[in-house]
Amino acid sequence: MSHQLPEHPDWLWRTPDPKRSYDVIIVGAGGHGLATAYYLARNHGITNVAVLERGWLAGGNMARNTTIIRSNYLCEESAALYEHALKLWEVLPQELEYDFLFSQRGVLNLAHTLQDVREGTRRVNANRLGGVDAEWLDADQVRAFCPIVNTSPDVRYPVLGATLQPRAGIAKHDHVAWALARKADQYGVDLIQGCEVTGFLREGDRVVGVRTSRGPISAGRVALAAAGHSSVLADLAGLRLPVQSHPLQALVSELLEPVHPTVVMSNHVHVYVSQAHKGELVMGAGVDSYNGYGQRGSFHQIEHQMAAALELFPIFARAHVLRTWGGIVDVTPDASPIIGPTPIENLYLNCGWGTGGFKATPASGWVYAHTIATGEPHPLNAPFALERFTTGALIDEHGAAAVAH
Amino acid sequence: MTADTQRRSPLGHLADVLAAHSTGGERGVRLREVPFLAQLDLQLHPHGPAAERIATALGSPLPTEPNTVTEPGSLQVVWLGPQEWLVLGPDGSGSATAELLRAALTDEPGSVVDVSANRTTLELSGPAARQVLEKGCSLDLHPRAFGPGRCAQTLLGKVQVILHQVDAEPTYRLLVRGSFAQYLTDWLLDAMEEYRHPRLTP
Amino acid sequence: MLLIACPWCGERDELEFHYGGQAHVAYPADPEGLSDAEWGEYLFVRDNPKGPFAERWSHAAGCRRWFNVVRHTVTHQILASQSNHPVAAGQPKPVIA
Repeated sequence: MSHQLPEHPDWLWRTPDPKRSYDVIIVGAGGHGLATAYYLARNHGITNVAVLERGWLAGGNMARNTTIIRSNYLCEESAALYEHALKLWEVLPQELEYDFLFSQRGVLNLAHTLQDVREGTRRVNANRLGGVDAEWLDADQVRAFCPIVNTSPDVRYPVLGATLQPRAGIAKHDHVAWALARKADQYGVDLIQGCEVTGFLREGDRVVGVRTSRGPISAGRVALAAAGHSSVLADLAGLRLPVQSHPLQALVSELLEPVHPTVVMSNHVHVYVSQAHKGELVMGAGVDSYNGYGQRGSFHQIEHQMAAALELFPIFARAHVLRTWGGIVDVTPDASPIIGPTPIENLYLNCGWGTGGFKATPASGWVYAHTIATGEPHPLNAPFALERFTTGALIDEHGAAAVAH
Repeated sequence: MTADTQRRSPLGHLADVLAAHSTGGERGVRLREVPFLAQLDLQLHPHGPAAERIATALGSPLPTEPNTVTEPGSLQVVWLGPQEWLVLGPDGSGSATAELLRAALTDEPGSVVDVSANRTTLELSGPAARQVLEKGCSLDLHPRAFGPGRCAQTLLGKVQVILHQVDAEPTYRLLVRGSFAQYLTDWLLDAMEEYRHPRLTP
Repeated sequence: MLLIACPWCGERDELEFHYGGQAHVAYPADPEGLSDAEWGEYLFVRDNPKGPFAERWSHAAGCRRWFNVVRHTVTHQILASQSNHPVAAGQPKPVIA
């Protein structure tokens, strides 16, 4: 009796060989690279585009983050950018014809000290003025919204209140990547995996293409979207970036019954945790202080993360860690990204997202595509230019960015 | 003196608890506070004339080998860094020792600062003392690597301590900041708990 | 978890140390004379290599001395560790037992 394998499901995108030339080459097929390709085609009609990926599609930070989506940042520049992303998240499942399980279950940012309370209420007010949904909850309201949080007053860091962004939530990260990849591919974009950029083709001060592990490819414009490896690529172009790459880890428990209805973040106790659709508790650990490209961090970060999670969620005491992993997080001095042109003609830069990358994916692609297509930044990313580290017009988001900065 | 009647050591209220949790026998371990040791932080160039004058005044050179302790008379000189030491003495000896050190230092670059109020001292001793420390300290405390006369600034639990092995029983002294003393004591009492009960054998 | 060799205290757990970033970054000799771009470069831009990296660490929970380490940023292997403390200059290296 023969055992026939089931038919392979349809591929979501082609596997083309690289052409000799493209209008635009995007380096990095993570979320931002794919979203950029998608919006170059959708918004600007530019489809002669290749996305080159050293490894496999969406295998870097896109596969390693904790999938939290929110827009309650402090500065108006950041809130505008992340809110643009959130509005796009709300329409993308329909637009991409792919249900990537975007779940607007709300995000709580807990306050444990009077300083936290002041910072949180300030951020709620700033968000409301900026058109971002935000509420302040006291401890009783926190307990009502998320009953498993330990709101007892006699813990080491009692919960004094929390900010709530109801429209925030989570999405299934790999499905997001596949959804963007399929649509970009349908527009004619070449997604080329296993193709490492090893240098830049130059004509005078201009970049005119890239050298790759699969041969040289010329391009009208080259756009970096390489997250943790941005410094390495920029170095190939002779550009030094105000970016440091650090290990950042996360972990999941085994599959549990639904116990956690929302997303809880606490800068003070150092926790961010949600429950994925499948049932795993997804927790992010802290960033390691030292630079690292190894996609792994120190064990004490995991230990600390679990201790902090137990402090806030005693109910997790008997959960087991199923697996841990690490990514390479690219961090700027002001905890805000860099999106825009570079001093090198035809070379564009999108990096430094720190822990904000996943949630920004669609807006990042939107404004980066605009910048590449027109040569000028979109109003939303104009403040995030590389020049701010010369002018001093920093966008300091250390308070709101995330626990890990 | 008023100061003496009013002063409280960080762990004074726990003396009875520490005694009650201490055990003897072949796997015994004892914990007590040694309060109010005089502590002087000494900083100077380790090879200058002042260091020689201090060696003469103390009757013993300052330890320059990292992580070692010398014991001139009733004092203990703990190496803290290439140009920093902690001079420990009995309760009440701080002023006299400080005068001695300052006189030897003269006007050379350096400092003598009374930091007696900074830390209190816990003494952990008994056959199981090393096992207790090993539950929360990453140093190799085995006699092949650590022994009487050795010290280390390290972490125990999550707390920064100055660890000093006094004798081979072993007896250790742990200098800990006052505000961390209760936490460290709680941690130690928990780590000592198993030695109050007979060893489980198959 | 890194095992870092403090030039004075010997090999210790990473938890005892504080990270100081890239080593050998000198304060500008004439800060007043720098352009905004040069000052921004000094203030914000550091090397971020994938490979050997000369970096500063402080033995924060120990002797509190700063020293330099060359560490591979992918393997995390520590390739060299040395003291740059002035007292160490011309003195025999501390014996690390």
